[in-house]
Amino acid sequence: MRPAPFSYHKAERLDQALALLAEFGEDARPIAGGQSLVPMMNLRLARPSHLVDINALDLDTIELRSDHLHIGALVRHERYARESLIAQHFPAFAEGVEWIGHPTIRRRGTLGGSISHADPTAELPALCVLLGAEIIAQSAEGSRRIPAAEFFISAYVTSLEAGEMVTGIDLPLPKGKSSGAFEEFAERSGDFAIISAGVTLEHDGRAITDARVVWSGVDLAPVMAERAGDLLRGKPLSAPEAEAAAQAMSAGITPLDDPMASAEFRHSLIVELTQRALTRACEKAMQAS
Amino acid sequence: MNAPIPNLSKRQIGARVQRFEDTRLMSGAAKYIADITLPDMLHLSFVRSQVAHAKILEVDTSMLEDLDYPVQVFTGKDTDGLSLKANQDLPGVQRSEQPLLALDRLRFVGDPAAVVLADDPYLAEDAAELVFIDFDPLPVVATMEQALAEDTTPLFDGWTGNKFVERQMKGGDLEAARAQAAHVIRRTYRNQRQTGVPMEGRGVIADYDKGTRVLTLWSSTQMPHLVRTYICEELGLPESRIRVIAPDVGGGFGVKGQVFADEVLIAWLAIQTGRPVKWVEDRRENLIASIHARDHEHTLEAYVSAEGRLLGLKADISTDVGAYSTFPFTAGGDPGMAAKVMPGPYDFQAYEATFRALATNKCPLGTYRGVGRPSAVFSQERLMDVIAQEIGMDPIEFRLKNVVKEFPYKNVLGFTYDPGSYEESLLKMRELLAEDIKAAEASKASPDSRIGVGIACFIEQTAHGTGDFTKRRSPIETGYISARVEMSTDGEVLIGLGLQSHGQGLETTCAQVAADALGVGPQRVFVRHGDTLTSPYSVGTWGSRGGPLGGGAVHIAANKIADKLRLIAAHILQVADPATIQLDENRASVIGDPARFVPIPELARAALRNVDRLPEGMTPGLTEEFSLDGPKDGTYANAVHAAIVEIDVKTGKMKLRRFVVVEDCGTILNPMIVDGQVRGGVVQGIGSAIMEHMIYDEEGQPLTTTFADYLMPLATEMPEIDVHHIETPTPLTPLGAKGLGEGGAIGPPAAIANAVANALGVEVEATPLNAQAIWRLAKATRSEG
Ligand SMILES: Cc1cc2nc3c(=O)[nH]c(=O)nc-3n(C[C@H](O)[C@H](O)[C@H](O)COP(=O)(O)OP(=O)(O)OC[C@H]3O[C@@H](n4cnc5c(N)ncnc54)[C@H](O)[C@@H]3O)c2cc1C
Repeated sequence: MRPAPFSYHKAERLDQALALLAEFGEDARPIAGGQSLVPMMNLRLARPSHLVDINALDLDTIELRSDHLHIGALVRHERYARESLIAQHFPAFAEGVEWIGHPTIRRRGTLGGSISHADPTAELPALCVLLGAEIIAQSAEGSRRIPAAEFFISAYVTSLEAGEMVTGIDLPLPKGKSSGAFEEFAERSGDFAIISAGVTLEHDGRAITDARVVWSGVDLAPVMAERAGDLLRGKPLSAPEAEAAAQAMSAGITPLDDPMASAEFRHSLIVELTQRALTRACEKAMQAS
Repeated sequence: MNAPIPNLSKRQIGARVQRFEDTRLMSGAAKYIADITLPDMLHLSFVRSQVAHAKILEVDTSMLEDLDYPVQVFTGKDTDGLSLKANQDLPGVQRSEQPLLALDRLRFVGDPAAVVLADDPYLAEDAAELVFIDFDPLPVVATMEQALAEDTTPLFDGWTGNKFVERQMKGGDLEAARAQAAHVIRRTYRNQRQTGVPMEGRGVIADYDKGTRVLTLWSSTQMPHLVRTYICEELGLPESRIRVIAPDVGGGFGVKGQVFADEVLIAWLAIQTGRPVKWVEDRRENLIASIHARDHEHTLEAYVSAEGRLLGLKADISTDVGAYSTFPFTAGGDPGMAAKVMPGPYDFQAYEATFRALATNKCPLGTYRGVGRPSAVFSQERLMDVIAQEIGMDPIEFRLKNVVKEFPYKNVLGFTYDPGSYEESLLKMRELLAEDIKAAEASKASPDSRIGVGIACFIEQTAHGTGDFTKRRSPIETGYISARVEMSTDGEVLIGLGLQSHGQGLETTCAQVAADALGVGPQRVFVRHGDTLTSPYSVGTWGSRGGPLGGGAVHIAANKIADKLRLIAAHILQVADPATIQLDENRASVIGDPARFVPIPELARAALRNVDRLPEGMTPGLTEEFSLDGPKDGTYANAVHAAIVEIDVKTGKMKLRRFVVVEDCGTILNPMIVDGQVRGGVVQGIGSAIMEHMIYDEEGQPLTTTFADYLMPLATEMPEIDVHHIETPTPLTPLGAKGLGEGGAIGPPAAIANAVANALGVEVEATPLNAQAIWRLAKATRSEG
């Protein structure tokens, strides 16, 4: 459990990091918190010949920019909980990130690292998809914005190209009244989820006007419940018929199947967690209005 | 002699003395194998099998020739003839050997076939990747069913089938019991394969000094003397010139309680290369190729009278022991233990057990806290609940009716139980659970959340002596523990203890014991252990014998010194009867006349330096040694464990609300240490019950090879563990102490399974009771709701 040989480069500025990533291409990986990359390297599952340390880069802002909230790639997981902007606008995000690992991991692990690593049941990828985030990718050639729904391709596979790195994400602010909740099921606290379900609702104080639901643990990348909006639009906030909606939106879904959790078990969790998240999101909305 | 004399008139045995070793262990001052560096040292990396079963065609090392740094490589051909042999000398046993490096066959994923040595551990690991094992696959024996199949491929040449051993134990008239029975109840129970996971993995360093021809071996082991003896016998070195040191050992739990092939191999390599060789096991190796545990399947049939008396028990016990027989407890150790202890605390006189150890293409199974007992108690105590239910009795009432009440008691296999508190501990537990039982009853109406209470009542044979081991005819042979106690000129005490203390707190408890005998403060007692040069021969730390036998040996040796100190004091104080001298508060004084005293350091100086002050004819010196064997049948500790669980019926999420222990380990040497041992054991038992699972696929590939997949209990999930004591000193050990090191880990699987059964109103037949298992069990409850 020692990494294969590699060279280490410390980038002081973004342009330096991008130049190094351009120079070494496929053979280089950025290293941020190292909480996923270092274990992978020690198991020799990842064998980058060049590590580009991006920790000194100025990419850790959280700020409102016109119609969205920007979160820099180097924001550490432990910070989300302290940001009132997140709690205020993105309750599902605020709840979801509480499920990430343990305090030591949250102290080092970063937003950019988590989404670039793209663990199939990590919370941040699911939250990005749920909230319609745009992921900002930069290379020496320039920058592009990738909708979260197109970013996560499979387990540990994203649409980032060699030479590119994530500099941050933009979360569009909800237009009207909104609410959200996140439920997760893991064997122990801090473990990656077996199933998680995130919900956002838009409402007019009495009824649901739109809804989005995301799951992880169903497939190798986060999955949006296609029919969530159709099933929930117009339903009263006070009694959203959550169980029926959760059943209906998960009908026909065939989740992953492995020794830790069979497809049948996962399916049952999807229904239960979705229902719980929906119910709580409605309760929060009712309290607020 | 004006040293301040501390007030020590309080007895040390039984006092809550804080652990002396903690200052070292908690401040980063401890020294583990990985901390040891020798000049010119080579680092070793293993080349391990990636397949479960194959014939080796060739181990190709040619790619190492192109490296631009020096490496040395050794394969099974180089070590041909050297092996680990661990065979019981009994009928029904098939003999086997584990070569130091696989020679013609790979028998499990992780089986080492070559080693690479380099100047740096990183380089060694890089080079090891370049060694290729060319093989022809063989049919994989991945399950017990496959090991028992007619057409199974034997793991060893010359074998028939895949049984290391199959034997029986019996007593009484089972036919008569069956004939008398009003109820015959039969069930099959299963415990999963897991591993022991010490925080520090294993590690070995060997250094051979050509000048003195002394081989020094550092190993993270629980049994340094047995390692020394095995190396002597296998490599043909004089034992006097082998020194084995177990430095600070970061947990063992039985995993390090065997002699390993790699210990012999690394000793051999140090001699071959003329340089020190170091290997530190990494976590992946620790999980897949160290020692696994449990993996039992039992079918029990109980014969019960109309009045609810247990009349007899028939047991069929299979254990999947993996690819090799381990030294010294052998492949038969775990199933044999389960068969031996299955009668438990209950009074019945007809029993028959058939037990077998099955060879499969998996990591070898060895000792882990509890050894066979957690599985036996799981089956026995699940069955007791099932019987109680079938005959309509309260489970505690049913146990109360059947536990042994009169001591000494000769059990169905002829083992004599010394006095214990089986009945009292059940009664005490019933009292402690009153509120929980009410809460469980009340929850039965809820469709979402159910509370359950489950207990496990058990005994643990501890500190068993040579008589017990010779019966097994396995290489363990004996179980005595030795201690040497020495007082120096300043009155300070040095103990050379044959045990290795790796969490048991023996540096403190043994100091307490010596302090009481010698009348000095325990701070004046320095306990050294884990080094064959400083400790007299002993079998090591395992089998819950440290307190009763190690403490007992210290007690006897220290008292011999105390007797001599009293003789010297009587002479100096001109008192006729040395029995009127008491040793306390660091002085020897005349009982009833405390003004007449000699400071103990002055007596020590008289014995060692100013020997002209000794009584006529007395030999100088203040060193005594004693080897204490255990009682033939051991001394039986007992306990009742209770788990109170709360289950989310919809998701299968289980919360442990509380865990309660009532235990009796005889005389308590240090209550803080007893509580710590119990709690640590319970946490491991909770791991066994709920989540620790070493999963193999049908090709014999281990799937849980990191801590992301092999789930250990975390502090966040652990309940309050409430520990209560009953103290029934045993007449069979010098201090009245019984063993308690393993007990904590024995009860939780049964108690938790019983609690789950109670919560959901279902039968529970297997562990681990992880979320998915609970969710499945709750299916019926869900459809009710
Ligand atoms: C015990 C444990 C438990 C954990 N539990 C959870 C959990 O419950 N939920 C969860 O979501 N995560 C969990 N994690 C993972 C943790 O959140 C990691 O911090 C995160 O996945 C990676 O972030 P990092 O900054 O450490 O990235 P690194 O480990 O440094 O990098 C991860 C990958 O991302 C790439 N990378 C890093 N930054 C960038 C960037 N800006 N642009 C492009 N590529 C980049 C790296 O090259 C590498 O491939 C856990 C980790 C551990 C060790």
